[in-house]
Amino acid sequence: MKKLFYSIYNRLGFHSTALLGVLIGLSIIMRFRSPYFLTWFNFEILFMGFILEAIMAIGMTLVIISGGIDLSVSSVLPFSAILTGLLITAGVPVALAVGITLLAALSVGMINATLKIVLDVHPFIATLAMMLTVRGLAVAMSGGQSISGFPAEFAFLGQGYIFGIPVPILIFIILAVGLGTLLRHHKFFQQIYFIGYDSKAARVSGINVTLMNYFVFGLSSLLAGLAGIIAASQYGTAHNSFAIGAELKVIAAVVIGGTNIVRGGEGNMFGTVLGVLFMAIVFNAFAMSGIDTYWQEIVNGIMLLVAIFMVEAARKRQNRLALG
Amino acid sequence: MGALLELSNIDKSFHENRVLKSVNISFMAGEVHAIVGENGAGKSTLMKIIGGIYRRDTGELKLEGTPVNVDSPIDAMNHGISLVHQELSLADNRTVAQNIFCNREPTNRLGFIKWSELYRMAQDLFDDMAVDIHPKSLAGSLNVARQQLVEIAKALSLNARIIIMDEPTSSLSEQEVDSLYGIVERLRDRGVTVVFISHKLTEVFRVADRITVLRDGELIGTLPTADTSSSEIIRMMVGRNIEDLYPPKTKEVGDALMDVKDLGFRNQFSDISFTVKRGEILGLAGLVGAQRSESMLALFGAAPKTSGTVEVHGKPITIKSPRDAIAAGICYLTEDRRSKGLFQTMTVSWNIVVTSLKKILATGSFYQGRKRQDAVSRLMESLDINPRRPENWVQNLSGGNQQKVLLGKWLFAEPEILIVDEPTRGVDVGAKSQIHLALRELVTTGIGVVVISSEQPEIVGLCDRVLVFKEGRITAELSGDEVTQEEIVKYATV
Repeated sequence: MKKLFYSIYNRLGFHSTALLGVLIGLSIIMRFRSPYFLTWFNFEILFMGFILEAIMAIGMTLVIISGGIDLSVSSVLPFSAILTGLLITAGVPVALAVGITLLAALSVGMINATLKIVLDVHPFIATLAMMLTVRGLAVAMSGGQSISGFPAEFAFLGQGYIFGIPVPILIFIILAVGLGTLLRHHKFFQQIYFIGYDSKAARVSGINVTLMNYFVFGLSSLLAGLAGIIAASQYGTAHNSFAIGAELKVIAAVVIGGTNIVRGGEGNMFGTVLGVLFMAIVFNAFAMSGIDTYWQEIVNGIMLLVAIFMVEAARKRQNRLALG
Repeated sequence: MGALLELSNIDKSFHENRVLKSVNISFMAGEVHAIVGENGAGKSTLMKIIGGIYRRDTGELKLEGTPVNVDSPIDAMNHGISLVHQELSLADNRTVAQNIFCNREPTNRLGFIKWSELYRMAQDLFDDMAVDIHPKSLAGSLNVARQQLVEIAKALSLNARIIIMDEPTSSLSEQEVDSLYGIVERLRDRGVTVVFISHKLTEVFRVADRITVLRDGELIGTLPTADTSSSEIIRMMVGRNIEDLYPPKTKEVGDALMDVKDLGFRNQFSDISFTVKRGEILGLAGLVGAQRSESMLALFGAAPKTSGTVEVHGKPITIKSPRDAIAAGICYLTEDRRSKGLFQTMTVSWNIVVTSLKKILATGSFYQGRKRQDAVSRLMESLDINPRRPENWVQNLSGGNQQKVLLGKWLFAEPEILIVDEPTRGVDVGAKSQIHLALRELVTTGIGVVVISSEQPEIVGLCDRVLVFKEGRITAELSGDEVTQEEIVKYATV
């Protein structure tokens, strides 16, 4: 048992181990409050409740490690949902509609990166402006109306199952494992850490900082676009009010996962997966615990505060170990 | 033997300030070449030109006889020139090996990093240097000395033939210095040229084959270490007459204003005891890193201290924060005016009054605009702050005028003891003597001034009495005729 703990600890580091411990503890507590908590059925519900944010968190992790931030994801989502919806209801084949939508979403990321690199606008401001603009675009395109009436084949993406696993969760797993592995072991992806830590020093080392910025912002928007398509498919409708405020939940999940938002160059995908699970449980747990829904947001806020505090404590501990 | 790298007629100016004046210097293959000179002599600028961080204005660089252009650090790297920075820039939570081979990692065909090979390559480098650093440790977990070794390993991995180090030992312990110079010697034996800047003459004489002295941007001479002595080098570093530029010194010194005893912080600085008297300018001389600013900031309550008592007018006072110090009449004019001293995007007027807002209050805690305007325009007049527009943003002023605003801010507070840290850094000659004059006029009104300066001519020309700091301790107190650059350099370095 002790051996197992240390092998986990050595692989994951202090922060992820602690977070894993908290998740297990939280699950056990919830198990006592509700016998249904630790069932596959409930896991599916709680994870599907956070799946759109989870997919966006993957891209956000890369953006934050690179020293940036992307607020525009929460608007790219409804924009993409509406665009796919409009295309499909206009008779465009599903595959083509999805392709066009992903390209449109990608272009938002290209604009974000251009604003940052070429015009030297801080990504917080640049993506905030894009967040407002793109949400406005979604409203204008839909005329404020819901768009629905999609063919059955489109529903598979958001509602279907493969091997008993919901398709969106499968997509998340593939993306998290795939991009997580690349981030850890691939030369191109490793450069994201160096530009996040010190972009000038990275440039001196011959890293193409501009390209890397286009890549991370592009990927973030692309995944937000994918989340939008999944949302349209899952709900069978698309509306411009999707995902309002989601960007902050996404950022919270990434930060709880141990990615450093103050200074880039620190973080990993496994942490983000844990952060996503934490958020999913927190937002689900209280639905099951019977706590008055009016109190839910307060409790959620406090839980976030506790989690963030824990992250900072872990970081301080790590720094102290490094110095000592 | 021909020179490996030859620089001829190198000129470099920043704005109007000529930092290097037709410098000619050559570096042989496999030599250790020390560059010495006072602060502001142009050493770092010269090194940055070689390393491709600055571009020369005029002049020529020749590598093994062929003219080359070194316009970027990457250019320099391609020519086998590596600069080990004073401020290191390793990515803290990447491994040592990753930092060394950043963007040059061995990969398979799909671009995945071959970790075992990467770590082996780093291990080979360290074995070669005979240093004991684990390639898998995180760069951030190493101390500065070891981070420096990682930077050197990086330079070697790039097949550097010339390695430039800017004050490599400034933050190392004695043992670390020894091991660093051991490595420098091994590099030399393998034919690598090592160029380093140092303020510590004992070290220079220990490891350098040749020494080049720079002064005010001019190359004074390059001498083989064997043919020279530290007194000759000091003379070459100092040699000039500037006394006439300074206002005459005080004849009469009043009674004690402030007594400081046993000021210390851990092992950073200790036993700092001195007295500041009415009507005198007390200078704190020493090298960068001698803990002068740190100890004075501790006195002022802006940095931690672990021991020390302060008496003002014979009464003991407790200083826990700058507020306490200001209340006791002690003011501190910071060295770093951009980040700590001035509000860059506020007006000159507000910057001057900010420390003593009470003085411009009318009845009922409202600010009285006219009081502020009167006081500010009086100060701007007497300090000759240009342009004389109180509503200008500070960031739009030249360095010299910003420094005068900073001085004005503390004059407005009417301190009894004024500590000024590098009062004329980055300031042109004209503004410099205006600031000197203002300080001299100040002490005639009966206050005490403490000047921290790394420019020895300034200390010698301006101060009535001088304390020499070395590595966190006062090594000498000089007054009257003893205040000479030779004496200061002697106590600060040897």
